[in-house]
Amino acid sequence: MTEKRKKISRRDFLKLAGLSTSSLAVGSFSPPTRKKSVLPHSKIILDEAGRMKRPWWVREVDKPTVEISWESVKRFDARTAARGSGFINYVGQEEVNRLTKIAAGKEKERLLQKVPGYTLKDQALSAAQASSSSSKRSFLGLQKAQTPEERGVPTWKGSSSDAARILRVAMRHFGAATVGFVELNEQTKKLIYSYDTDGKEIVFEDVDIAYETTEKRVIPHKAKWVIVYTVQMSADALKRAPTAIAEQTTILSYGRALDIQIKTQEFIRGLGYQCLGEANVNGLGIAPALAVMAGLGELGRHNRVITPEFGPMVRIFKMITDLPVTTDKPIDAGIMQFCSSCKKCAETCPASALSLDDEPTWDVQGKWNNSGHKAYFEHSLKCRTYMMEGAGTNCSICFSVCPFAKKNKVWLHNWVKGGISSFPTLDGLLRSLDDAFSYGAQKSPEEWWWLNLPEYGINTEQTIDED
Amino acid sequence: MSEDKEYFTIKIVRRPWYEWILWGIWLFLEIVFLQSAIASHQELEQRAAMIYWLIVVVLSLTGFVFWIIRRSRLL
Repeated sequence: MTEKRKKISRRDFLKLAGLSTSSLAVGSFSPPTRKKSVLPHSKIILDEAGRMKRPWWVREVDKPTVEISWESVKRFDARTAARGSGFINYVGQEEVNRLTKIAAGKEKERLLQKVPGYTLKDQALSAAQASSSSSKRSFLGLQKAQTPEERGVPTWKGSSSDAARILRVAMRHFGAATVGFVELNEQTKKLIYSYDTDGKEIVFEDVDIAYETTEKRVIPHKAKWVIVYTVQMSADALKRAPTAIAEQTTILSYGRALDIQIKTQEFIRGLGYQCLGEANVNGLGIAPALAVMAGLGELGRHNRVITPEFGPMVRIFKMITDLPVTTDKPIDAGIMQFCSSCKKCAETCPASALSLDDEPTWDVQGKWNNSGHKAYFEHSLKCRTYMMEGAGTNCSICFSVCPFAKKNKVWLHNWVKGGISSFPTLDGLLRSLDDAFSYGAQKSPEEWWWLNLPEYGINTEQTIDED
Repeated sequence: MSEDKEYFTIKIVRRPWYEWILWGIWLFLEIVFLQSAIASHQELEQRAAMIYWLIVVVLSLTGFVFWIIRRSRLL
């Protein structure tokens, strides 16, 4: 019986081998065919608007987890922000000169002492990143791409979800990590600066085409969609905060965002619509507020957005368009709730600039905060002063110690995020475990130069569903 | 040629249903912590990796000891 079985098997095998070979031969001479799929591949796009699939524990909600009193929200004058050019208004030219001198002195001292993270190679890297993002930022864009009119073809037409999808796909291709859309109404218009960081007034007018004068930037009423996007920072670099190595990933993200802005402005122009960008670094509108409204993340204790996908390891940017797009809703993934018991960023902040309050408050810390939302307001002056006086670079410790700043390779961490969303009683325990596993500890700056890092130091496949 | 020589025979000890569930949980935890240990190495989180490896070792030893005790009782 065994012998018979063996013989049959061999014959069958030969038959199969013959058939396979002839099939392969026929197949190779057949004209190539390509399967056409009507629906987009489920692994890439999951709904018409091109939204990526989020885990079950991220819920869409009607109101963001940060409470807002729209009656008391006023349009913010970007010049009163303590970051960038606004700092001088609070401390005066003399103090800025003093701090600048200290920062320059520290830089030179550390260079000479070859302090890890501040050596010549670190500073040269940081300076190189800054040079790449120092030009071509504008409100109206380059305006070099051919418009449909110039091509002699009609303007692009499609549903709002089609528009959202193609924008998402294009912007992801340009380098954005996540993209969300907010409609500008009487409430959300308050999130657009009244005055831009360079002092130009931002106004809405009943005009067809956006324009800019020496006094103002004009947004047409019909341009009522804000494109909000995140750009990843390298966790491996930021875990070295505060050093020039950590700083350079922030600068790199700004440079990449500028690239994305310019390309998106040109892309939308090519479709026959307008796209208005940030004319200055952090210009146009309040980034965290718009990101919260676009459902890209929740407001954290450190007054920045924490995303479900990348934690706080992103920078946020925005543009305004008249291309109608499907908008997004805010999310609740238990992040802001977790922040109330965690406090890790506030405890580790060397400038004591972050709030240690148990609950968020409506009371702002100073004019650099915009009122009208319930948050853990920061003392921006302390933060900025520490950066110049203590760190000598930007700081970002609050980003690097955040328990959500994980790379998502460990399955358990993704389940823990689900736990945070569903069982807030576990938040205290999870914070303690985060400490025990030493997740927030600063990594060696010198070790960074030995790492085999992916492009830009980031994992660009983190939002791709592999299921 | 006898059938006994032609085939391998696996003998599975009869155990109460709850013990099978416990073994299932043990195996699940082993896989989860092993993955955590390996992934933590990839994430360059050395301390976390070390803790996860420790958990894997303790969990393996616990399973081994439990298996020895149960085996001696069943035999």
